[in-house]
Amino acid sequence: MTKGVLGNDPFQRGAAPRTGEAKDAAADPKAAKKSAKGAKKSAGKAKGAKASAPKSGPQAKAPKGGKGAEAKQAAAAPKTPAARVHKFEARADGRGNGNGKPAQDAHAPGDEGSPLREPSTPEPASEPRPQVLAEEVHGSRPQERKVDRALTEALASDAAEAAAKTAVDGLFEGRRGPDRDIERVLATELVAELAESAVRQVLDDGDGGAPERELATAVATQVAEATAGVAVDEVLDRHATSPEERALPTAEDRDARDLEDAEDEATEGVWTADAWRRDPKDVPPPADSTEEVWTADAWRRDPEGIAVSGDPEEDDDFVSGVERVEENGVHISVSIIEGAAPTDVDPEVELPDESHDELPPSRRPLSLVGDAGERPLEEELERGEAAFDRPEESAPPAGFAGRAVGMLSLARDIAGQALASEGLGRAVGAMHGLMEAMRTSLGTGGGSRLDDYGKDAGLVENLQPVLDFLYEQYWRVSVEGIDQVPRGASILVANHSGALPYDGLVMSQALLRERPDLLEARWLVEDQVFHAPMLGTLFNRLGAVRASPENALRLLDEHRPLVVFPEGYQGASKPFAERYRLKRFGRGGFVKLALRTGAPIVPVAIVGAEETSPLLGRLPGGFLGFPSLPITAPGPLPAKWTIRFGEPLTMEGLPPEAADDLGEVQRLTERTRESIQSMLQALLRERRSVFAG
Amino acid sequence: MRIAVTGANGDYGKLLLPRLEADPGVESILVLDTKEPPPMSKVEFHRVDLTRYDAEGELTDALTERPVDALFHLAFLFGPILNGPLAHELEVIGTMNVLTAVGRARLPRLVVPSLTATYGARGNNPALLREGSPLFGCPHSRFVNDKVEVEGQVRAFRERHPDTRTLVLRFAPLLGPSLDNPATRLLSHAVVPTLLGFDPLWQAVHEEDAGRALHLALRAEAAGEFNIVGRGVLPLSGLIRQAGAQPLPLPGPLFRGALRALGAVGAGTLPVALLDYMHYSWVADGERAESALGFVPLYHVRDAASALRRSQS
Repeated sequence: MTKGVLGNDPFQRGAAPRTGEAKDAAADPKAAKKSAKGAKKSAGKAKGAKASAPKSGPQAKAPKGGKGAEAKQAAAAPKTPAARVHKFEARADGRGNGNGKPAQDAHAPGDEGSPLREPSTPEPASEPRPQVLAEEVHGSRPQERKVDRALTEALASDAAEAAAKTAVDGLFEGRRGPDRDIERVLATELVAELAESAVRQVLDDGDGGAPERELATAVATQVAEATAGVAVDEVLDRHATSPEERALPTAEDRDARDLEDAEDEATEGVWTADAWRRDPKDVPPPADSTEEVWTADAWRRDPEGIAVSGDPEEDDDFVSGVERVEENGVHISVSIIEGAAPTDVDPEVELPDESHDELPPSRRPLSLVGDAGERPLEEELERGEAAFDRPEESAPPAGFAGRAVGMLSLARDIAGQALASEGLGRAVGAMHGLMEAMRTSLGTGGGSRLDDYGKDAGLVENLQPVLDFLYEQYWRVSVEGIDQVPRGASILVANHSGALPYDGLVMSQALLRERPDLLEARWLVEDQVFHAPMLGTLFNRLGAVRASPENALRLLDEHRPLVVFPEGYQGASKPFAERYRLKRFGRGGFVKLALRTGAPIVPVAIVGAEETSPLLGRLPGGFLGFPSLPITAPGPLPAKWTIRFGEPLTMEGLPPEAADDLGEVQRLTERTRESIQSMLQALLRERRSVFAG
Repeated sequence: MRIAVTGANGDYGKLLLPRLEADPGVESILVLDTKEPPPMSKVEFHRVDLTRYDAEGELTDALTERPVDALFHLAFLFGPILNGPLAHELEVIGTMNVLTAVGRARLPRLVVPSLTATYGARGNNPALLREGSPLFGCPHSRFVNDKVEVEGQVRAFRERHPDTRTLVLRFAPLLGPSLDNPATRLLSHAVVPTLLGFDPLWQAVHEEDAGRALHLALRAEAAGEFNIVGRGVLPLSGLIRQAGAQPLPLPGPLFRGALRALGAVGAGTLPVALLDYMHYSWVADGERAESALGFVPLYHVRDAASALRRSQS
């Protein structure tokens, strides 16, 4: 069997969950989510398995097939909590004894329920990585050196663990609590971790002679003793924090996650579980002859670790494996490695680094929370708020590596908080704006910064996040030829579209964004909309002006761009099939205006608004003062908008008296109409998809 | 300068008399009213009842006995009263008497206050109503329609007597601690019903500004109509909030029915006609008063409304 069978193969990835309880879970979305959560939690253990893997070394010649099958078979096992717990314990024991108890034991069904349920305890996530790196760095050296090094390391780690145990035990003396034992184990591990990384640093610097062996041992002991206090604090600290609080999603992550459906969630979880099994084999770098030396020692620790020659896919999996490990809240140990043993990371080996650089550090722990799928959406805001409490929980510890740890985790926390608060602030701002809009439309808004036309600057400010979202992300408005809009007074004539007239609002937003040199544009709406209860009130507060010659003249006198929709209410109530066929252009009122004021006419074509709120039918709406009530989509649809501005028609050479010449007015009206219609047809030809543009 | 004032005990009179009293250019104030005003050094009181059949003769006698430089005709109601015919007598017939007397006495200046409400709150009002806009009044309100009728009389008088400088000051709703009109009564409730889904723009004049505008009309070189409005506009809900109350949007038919029922019982606290003004905007443009009359409002609508709140507490 090839490694593909071990879970890399997408087909296998899908197949894996079908063993054991996950099979049933697949049918029930809720259960699937649950199992996803479980699987993600187990990712923490995956790291455990991985941790021992590198020590086992690339066992290129090991019986791949058989082991692979066994691993696969076992894949379903860790989904029961007991098994998981047991696995963790087994691993902890192995490390505590320092001689590498076979990790295979972990797969045996757990018979005792240990209280250890913390998936995010600070396990040495990336501990093996540096070693792998070291492997590669020294891969070209003589085998003896390898052996020497291995021996030295083993000795040093033994010494380190012993020292760590003593130190931690000493520190735990007098402390009590239900999880004291676990905490002690964890702290010991953490300390040993630190010591070992220090040893490796020493070894990497030197060439592994006999004196170095002693040196390494001494270093390990010293470091272990020095960091014991820090580690204990860290463990206690972490232990006090519940996993949810530790791994909080930012608003963006939440958004991203909302898009995933339950199935995705489930697959991912299962995949993680799978990865857990797979990781031990994924870790080692391409096999070479020297690594057989390792096998002896490593095999003892992890007989299940099977060396697999690396291929690109493998790398990917490893990267995700590492990521996932961190996501379970164990980033502390990662920080330790980063801080204490930076030399371990060889720039040539990009494998682990990539996993770090893929995303900004602050985002990673938050991006895939183990139990995200299980939470109802309503709780998310609450969780987001809890994010503000985080920094207080992780007080930066003092000490050798502790300072670095503290700084890093503090920076991480600050970044996370900033992200969370910015996202949260935006979301809250948008909600606030929408609430305000709702109140305004009901007639209780009570804004106090209105201009003479009724535009409420305060409301527009509050709604700006929503408008920005609609403009940039939802409708993805693209604007063409807006430079043609002349300065000063101008009449922008556009096709009216959609059952609900969003077009005026979007036009004014487009002008505001693309042409800040112009005065604020206003758009005219027909009486039927302007006096519609709620809708009319809201539109008026957002800047719509009732269409009347007096208002238009006044706005043009103020040298504003004026957006008009000469089709009027008819234009907004076109049947869907005729949505881009222009209706009669009123009585040419805008041409008369242009002639009287000398303001140029700019034809504008808007495509996309019709599909945003398609007119599906009409209801008699006389009781509300409408000629008809449009039946449309319940909300605006995410059609892509394109607004094209045509060449302006100047009124030069035409006297204001021409406004009384009906023939002239008719001619200009027709010209404008044709110009818009041809732009519309061109835009429709260019458009390939309604929603993608 | 000798000034004659009718209706000196009304709200306008209370705002204007102290200013005239303090004005060094004013020698004496002839008060033509049914009640004696609060004592002031310049005031001469002459009892005239504008609703009586002989009011016109009495006014002419009083005005010609000693010539006056200006007449402020301030004898108007500030809100609908239950006795509709009396209101009509006072406003329309009283104004007719005053105008006749002014014509006979050939007074150089006549100042008449009016309301921007006479434009009517209508769906097809322009965003800002200029003085030239037609006065549609309010179809259901006798009070507003009487005002419209008075305006018609004054306009006709102005055309017939070009040598009398006639100024009509159309006031936006007056707000202030010392006033009592439908607007201040409306805003004095803790909860103010409004129309669900509508939030028209309202204007208001602070009483100080209103007094100042009246005083300015004494020496202004211009004639005709002027919109006297405060700075800015507020939606009705905003005005209510500024005045320290809470808007309560009610569905239109329900609200209308309730008001009708209350009015029929005689317990009407709010005139039914006010509903129109809660439905559509009637924003007047104060630009002409600023340029021709020299009236620049000092108070924003916000201030006028919050002045009301301060007076309540």
